[in-house]
Amino acid sequence: MPVSRETFESQVLELLGRLQGVARRLTRNDTDAEDLVAETVARAWRALDTLEHEAAFRGWIFRILNNAFLDECRRRGARPLLEPLDCEEPEGDDEQFSIFEQMHQPFLLWFSTPEQQFLDKLLREDLERALATLPECYRIVVILSDLEEFSYAEIAETLAVPVGTVRSRLARARSALQKILWQQAREIGLAAKAPAGQDWGDDGSAPRRTTERSKKGKVT
Amino acid sequence: MTKHEIDCEQALDQLVEFIDHELPGGKHDALQRHLHTCKSCFSRFEFERRLKEKLGTLREAEVPSGTSERIKKLLKSF
Repeated sequence: MPVSRETFESQVLELLGRLQGVARRLTRNDTDAEDLVAETVARAWRALDTLEHEAAFRGWIFRILNNAFLDECRRRGARPLLEPLDCEEPEGDDEQFSIFEQMHQPFLLWFSTPEQQFLDKLLREDLERALATLPECYRIVVILSDLEEFSYAEIAETLAVPVGTVRSRLARARSALQKILWQQAREIGLAAKAPAGQDWGDDGSAPRRTTERSKKGKVT
Repeated sequence: MTKHEIDCEQALDQLVEFIDHELPGGKHDALQRHLHTCKSCFSRFEFERRLKEKLGTLREAEVPSGTSERIKKLLKSF
């Protein structure tokens, strides 16, 4: 059953904030994000007869947004990490990075462990910065899964890749994201792989940021 | 360990799908039982679940007024 003009408009307006949010994270720029959303809506309207039913609207329009973003990158001559092969780990380098494994100390109660304290201290800006640093093909799967709560099947449809690829790419993306978060945390002195029984020193040697976190203390 | 139980290695292999609610019922239940009895895996899964939850808070629903006006005008032009 074709989707009416009224349904198209109401769906676009309902999803507008989320389209803008995803576009901003892809383009890393508010103006480019607005242009991308406008281009997406225009393309979607022109392709409306390819949408078979209203229930598929969300995946359909996010797929158009992703394709419009890739086209714009190509038009500008930029070469982001777009292709699946660019996102594969080099052979033999399949090790998953885990902050938990870096910080976990057995024999402590789970809610008072260094890794849980690390999460408590993580600020929105830390996560935004780490997400923005991820290569595009990793960033999009994290955005669709963790922010937009798409199922694997919906992500697969949106990115035109098999579900198995979504699963493996998500695992790699989360590993890469944790690696970035870990590096950021070490740079600002939020985390350190302290030897057993030792704490991160209070000698002022680690750079500190002036945020509300510095009032809360740090995590070892 | 019965045939319905899993070990830590199997649990970690299923971590991503578990926290994404993509694990089929039987596997999900077996993993859930493992987490009830394994403190180490429970701590790891709890960490991953909370990190995913924190990422979810970045989701935006508000639209800048300029964008909203532009898209409404665009929709009227169709």
